[in-house]
Amino acid sequence: MTSSLLLSLTTFAYLLCTVLYLSGTVFSYRPLLGAGAVSGAAALLMQTGGIGLRWIESYRMGYGHAPLSNMYESLVFASWAIMVIYLVFEWRTKQRALGVFPALFSFLAMAYASFSKDVDSKIQPLVPALKSNWLIAHVMTCFLGYAAFAVSFGLSIVYLVKKRSIYVGKPQNPNPHGALQVSLPSVSQLEWFNYQLVLFGFLWLSIGIITGSIWANSAWGTYWSWDPKETWSLITWLIYAALLHARNMQGWKGERVAWLSIIGFGCVLFTYFGVNFLLSGLHSYARQ
Amino acid sequence: MPNDKGASWGVRLGWLSSLKLTLILFFALAGASLIGTLLPQGLSLVELKNHFSPTIAFLIDLLALNNLYHSMWFRILLLLLCVNLIACTVDRLPKTVRLIRRFEDPFDSQKLSRFSLSSSISAALPLEKVQSFVKSAVCETFGQLCEIQSAGSFCAVSEQGRWSRLMVYGVHISVLIVLVGALAGSYLGFKGAMNLSEGETSDKVILAGGESVLELPFMVRCDKFEVSFYDTGAPKEFRSDLAIIDKGREVLKDSIIVNDPLTYEGITFYQANYGTTLKGAEIELTDRDSGAKIQMSLPMLQPVNIPGTGDQLAITDYRQDLMRFGQAVELTYVKAGQQSSSQWILADRPFHGNRIENYQVRVSRIDTGRFTGLEIKKDPGIWLVWAGFILMTVGIGLTFYSSHRKLWVCVEPDKKRKKSIITLAGRASRNAPAFEEKFRALCARLENELVNPPSPPSEKRGNQKDTKGAK
Repeated sequence: MTSSLLLSLTTFAYLLCTVLYLSGTVFSYRPLLGAGAVSGAAALLMQTGGIGLRWIESYRMGYGHAPLSNMYESLVFASWAIMVIYLVFEWRTKQRALGVFPALFSFLAMAYASFSKDVDSKIQPLVPALKSNWLIAHVMTCFLGYAAFAVSFGLSIVYLVKKRSIYVGKPQNPNPHGALQVSLPSVSQLEWFNYQLVLFGFLWLSIGIITGSIWANSAWGTYWSWDPKETWSLITWLIYAALLHARNMQGWKGERVAWLSIIGFGCVLFTYFGVNFLLSGLHSYARQ
Repeated sequence: MPNDKGASWGVRLGWLSSLKLTLILFFALAGASLIGTLLPQGLSLVELKNHFSPTIAFLIDLLALNNLYHSMWFRILLLLLCVNLIACTVDRLPKTVRLIRRFEDPFDSQKLSRFSLSSSISAALPLEKVQSFVKSAVCETFGQLCEIQSAGSFCAVSEQGRWSRLMVYGVHISVLIVLVGALAGSYLGFKGAMNLSEGETSDKVILAGGESVLELPFMVRCDKFEVSFYDTGAPKEFRSDLAIIDKGREVLKDSIIVNDPLTYEGITFYQANYGTTLKGAEIELTDRDSGAKIQMSLPMLQPVNIPGTGDQLAITDYRQDLMRFGQAVELTYVKAGQQSSSQWILADRPFHGNRIENYQVRVSRIDTGRFTGLEIKKDPGIWLVWAGFILMTVGIGLTFYSSHRKLWVCVEPDKKRKKSIITLAGRASRNAPAFEEKFRALCARLENELVNPPSPPSEKRGNQKDTKGAK
């Protein structure tokens, strides 16, 4: 059993999970959603094993570092974090019908990591700048934030769709399975969940930026140098800070906040991919 | 509170303390930062004119978009954000503090029934009995109950996390602290670089951005520099062994690697890069007329007399790879009383162009050494920045995990003295749905135990409204 085998299996498990959640929602059939959650948890377990094995394998190769050092490893961790946050969310809120987007994101991250030609899945040794205990703290906190924002992005879309369908006055689906039918949370509940996830993500993003600047200070002697990656994380931070403040403003709570969450996630994606591939900077090791 | 001092402050501060300004500033800063990442920073006007049309280059230069993060208008945006933060704090903090410190105002059932989340139960039991039961039931679900003096009735409040209202101020102040720390660092500190060859001692720092040189109050010596590589060819470690010499005495010896700098008297030395320098070279001069050969050993930058002449020769520069022709040294020929002349000599390629004045030059030996590139920084503001970071983390964390919730209870005896009316009201700053659920469960429990048990027929009065948030 190797880590790459486990992680390939994880990719397909997330695909299955996505299909189960999607069909559960589309056909409005509750047991399918339960199966989605089970497959998601199983995939997560498998992935945890894969990440752990990769860590051990890196020690066997004599490099010995946490699997958080390049594009491939960060994608795997992003996918892991999204599923963890979603499953905890599902368990805490008892809402089962919101798993489509998180499962899809987890699958896409794994699929991109495994199949893209731009992403090298080899275990590589750490360059001097990455040899620091801050590596684990910085990458983990950032990606917990990103993952919470990804789940929030999914919720915002569900929120907007649901709100629109209320305005249009679309009749509710006839109830084919009685008690088994899926019920989406109400619009106000969705708004509350979304706010909670953004606040959670904001906390981790802030810690991520802070650990990053402490690390930069010990590696390069400057805690803030307006490097593109830093700047884009600041842009993301500002957008979500605006969201948290806008919620208290007349006429912004609701749809505009949902749109801000979508824009914010766009910034997250650009911070992650756009900066790596389009702009050059100190974070170049994240490109390989 | 219209006649409140805080409110009048709010009017006076006007738009400066408004949430609208906060949002505008967030978006403006985000937009400006975005432009800064798309447009290459630090280009000179000449470079701009090469890249863009004259009009666009002029506009970029006018708006300082090529040095955006240090431009005046970007700083004004940051300053406005600080002013906005301070104005908000001045405007709202006194109110919050008063809310936290104030003793509870007396209230009655009428006042409570006006709350968006309230409920009223009527029980056919005497006041004392109801009172003790309500006390224990509320304590069980919402925690400690604080009784308030009131004539003829029982009034009490249960409050949790009243300090959580202050967390948001903590986060706001932390932003200010970080910015003040950054400002202190940029005015009271410095940042520069120093290249040290093995064995070299220096106290001169070339300051970042400019050509100016700063002298440290002590000397630094590099004893050794090592670089190691993995099998893959990727660099593994850069290590410099440094010694600090203060007033002629060696006070500190330490080796630094990337991520592990050395600090002495508030000045920190970081391993930044490395390179190769020339220590000296041995050359052979051939007189082009007589064919006579002269061997010379030239240390770097030290003029040496050419035997048999009054002239001097010095190595003034070195390139590891000059225009892909390999190693090269720059020789400078100094004739007494005349203009000196310089010439690049290709060390790895002996050819006819390797000559200076009337001599053909051959480099017979090249003696190189490594130098370590140090980044040197003094930042007295860094502790403020760290303090701000800690406060920010704690503040945002507690905002997420704590909430302020308050429950009011009032038990009033009915006029007939045979019934008691229990009125409850509640408010939560966060997670209103969960609070409401708990509130309803408490009401249901009170109703079950006080109204429905086998007792004389009772009258029920419900006054349940949903919270505004849930609608």
